[in-house]
Amino acid sequence: MVFSSWRPIKQAMERAGFMKFWIFIPLIFLTLFFPFFLSQYWLHVMIISLFYVMMASSWNLIAGYTGQISFAHAAFAGVGAYVSGMLAVNMGIPAWLGILIGTSIAGLLGLGLGYLCIRMGGIYLSLTTLGFSEILRIIITNEDRWTRGTMGLQIPGFFIEYSKMSYYFLFLIVSVFFLWVIYRLIHSEMGLSFRAVLNDELAASSSGIDTIRVRILAFTISSAMAGMAGGLYGHYLMLITPDIPSLGQMFLVLAMAVIGGMGSFIGPILGAFILEILSEYIRIYGEYHVLLFGLVALGMARFAPEGIMGLLEKRWRLRKIS
Amino acid sequence: MAEFLMYLTNGLVMGVINAISAIGVSLVVGIMRVINFAHGELYIFAGYFSYHLSLTFGLSPILAMPLSVIFVFLMGILMERFLIRPTYGDEMYSLIITFVLSIILQNIALLIFGPYPNKPPTLISGATSLFGLFHYGNQRLLSFIISIAILLSVFYLIKRTWFGKSVRAISQDREMASLMGIDHLKINMLSFGLGAALAGAAGVIIAPIFPVTPTGSSAISLTAFVVVVLGGMGSLKGCVVGGLILGILENLGAAYISTMYRHIFGFIILILVLVFRPWGLFGQRT
Amino acid sequence: MRERILEGKGVTKSFGGLMAIHKVDFYLNEGEIVGLIGPNGAGKTTLFNVISGIYPLDEGELFFNGTSISSLKPFEICRLGIGRTFQIVRPFLKMTCLENILIGLIGRGERQKHLREKKKEARFYLEFVGLKGRENSVAKDLTLIEKKRLEMARALATNPKLLLLDEVLAGLNPSEILQALELIHIIRSQLRVTIFWIEHVMGAMMKASDRIIVLNQGEKIKEGKPEEIVSDPQVIEAYLGESNA
Repeated sequence: MVFSSWRPIKQAMERAGFMKFWIFIPLIFLTLFFPFFLSQYWLHVMIISLFYVMMASSWNLIAGYTGQISFAHAAFAGVGAYVSGMLAVNMGIPAWLGILIGTSIAGLLGLGLGYLCIRMGGIYLSLTTLGFSEILRIIITNEDRWTRGTMGLQIPGFFIEYSKMSYYFLFLIVSVFFLWVIYRLIHSEMGLSFRAVLNDELAASSSGIDTIRVRILAFTISSAMAGMAGGLYGHYLMLITPDIPSLGQMFLVLAMAVIGGMGSFIGPILGAFILEILSEYIRIYGEYHVLLFGLVALGMARFAPEGIMGLLEKRWRLRKIS
Repeated sequence: MAEFLMYLTNGLVMGVINAISAIGVSLVVGIMRVINFAHGELYIFAGYFSYHLSLTFGLSPILAMPLSVIFVFLMGILMERFLIRPTYGDEMYSLIITFVLSIILQNIALLIFGPYPNKPPTLISGATSLFGLFHYGNQRLLSFIISIAILLSVFYLIKRTWFGKSVRAISQDREMASLMGIDHLKINMLSFGLGAALAGAAGVIIAPIFPVTPTGSSAISLTAFVVVVLGGMGSLKGCVVGGLILGILENLGAAYISTMYRHIFGFIILILVLVFRPWGLFGQRT
Repeated sequence: MRERILEGKGVTKSFGGLMAIHKVDFYLNEGEIVGLIGPNGAGKTTLFNVISGIYPLDEGELFFNGTSISSLKPFEICRLGIGRTFQIVRPFLKMTCLENILIGLIGRGERQKHLREKKKEARFYLEFVGLKGRENSVAKDLTLIEKKRLEMARALATNPKLLLLDEVLAGLNPSEILQALELIHIIRSQLRVTIFWIEHVMGAMMKASDRIIVLNQGEKIKEGKPEEIVSDPQVIEAYLGESNA
């Protein structure tokens, strides 16, 4: 009864393209409570989680919504981080500009790779992105005159004065922006085309959808997003290493999307927060979180492919019936 | 000149080993449309099994090597039966599952075997003079001979046996094959196992020459994939030719251009193939 | 003199060593309902796949309203005006009925219309095939005949001038078959769509088609009016030969 008065507001918000109403509750927590009540350590964990929210959601755009498994997502983040970082260190370019340049380069590389492989089918994309990821890591590790290799490159931060709170809000704003873009995209005609391609590419093609163009577009947008996320991440940590574009990072992003729920909007967000926070707890005992997440992800992919979101939705549907 | 020939010979030796590894991938791709991302890990596991069986358990290498291959064959069968089979028809999930599996296996290898490189004992020591120009390790020569033997056996298997004929029928036209009464599930399982076994074979052959480490597995998988794309998906002949080309190019490139960027030649080849001839040397134009 | 909307000359397609269709000549006049029959493995679906661009042809030529379509991609052929349904029905299972039909509309490639307008038009097609009220049902929850109707609606939404129907009547009971035939009739008369259809339900096909083309082992063996085909000895033998083998 209380909620009936909310309805016009809710309708107005939905028409304006904002996310569903009840998501605002956690959003309020995130913006108002957390930054002021969390310790510096947990603020850091939140910032890292938001980085993974950006990465997992943008990976989900291609994997969950168009069915293309790319292994270059972490590599694109690495592109963003290193381009922006090296421009800052060597040419004094401010972080915000460096990040934009890094994003564009990541997007262009995504366009190029996508154009090369997507014509040939999903398997080729996965193979080529795997190769791209490895090669990028090798180049970064070997060209240590420029990149300082595995020792890491120190780069300036985004803000002149360091403040975890500022970074928190920066990451929050960009994350919300990403999610808004993804949401609008999914609910547009293009989004319908994505899902058609995911469901049945042949039928989509026979119904007039230029499936190759659709997939290349999704891939390009997603790689640009990874580039931006990587750029921000680099300027936050202020130290970039070849770990960023590594397959280990790629695995984490994939696990977050798979465990959270591929193909759903909230799934990757859930997955990012859950896995990142869990890994902080597990790290106390040792570096076992990768193995553990791997086993869980394997189990999910095998028995519950829709992830946690899928399981929750099934429960909800059953409850509706009974 | 002697130097060049030596690098060339290295290339040939690596090339046939690449070919074996690549056939392991190609077989599974051709029949099941599944790419086994855990390929490199199976390769490494075989190397480690071979090492431990020889050194920790004191088995002679002649026993340790085939035994390791059999272990890996069984691993492949289990993988297919419990993980891959339920994902039939869904390319995406098999990619995810084999990728996650590769990460899991990598981490398990780190835990069980440790991060240090291990080299099982060689079967032969010493060197022979080749072409009267340089001395070449006997173990490598032996590896070359064993590899050729394995390749010939695989070709015989595919061309002459019931299994091979079923495999060829299925990869040409799945519906036709099932209409002819070929037992899909059994063939798939055996092929996956064979693919794993070939990865293992390559691993045990290489291990006495180059030590195995858990972190090298991605590069191994990648090399196999590049060979398959270069040779053409589904073409066994292509795997051999592709493997040799890649082996020679990588060795010459590493020797004359840069050792650190050894693996980049493979990637460059991959890109060139995709740009100019995506179906590979012997593949079918779709 | 009617225009030839679809024409194939010497169409040949083989897979590996197997010849699926061999030098097939055929044509369809605008506004006709033409049936394509033949025993299993005769190459009927292969011919459809070649026409709709899924397989490239090895030899021969294909013309749609005078334009050569031999080297076009499926989505281009669809946009030119050829729609189709599939032998094993293929709606987008995880999408709703409305969304399925919307894809057909989106596939037309018209940028101008707003999504809201397209939704209205989608609802028209939904009603046209008899699925009114099922707009938000997810396709995988539909019965077989409902899925077939949905696939039909999606194909119609692409605004085809020629519709390729692949065994639409398979799996339907007699009353459903009558409903489907009525729908096909209305599609031809109201929407002015030419129909080329593959069918095994002979009675229905003979009644509804203007003309029949018969394929056997990849070759066209006969073509003519239904009455002629039904009594033709060559055709009967082709089918008998199949049931003996």
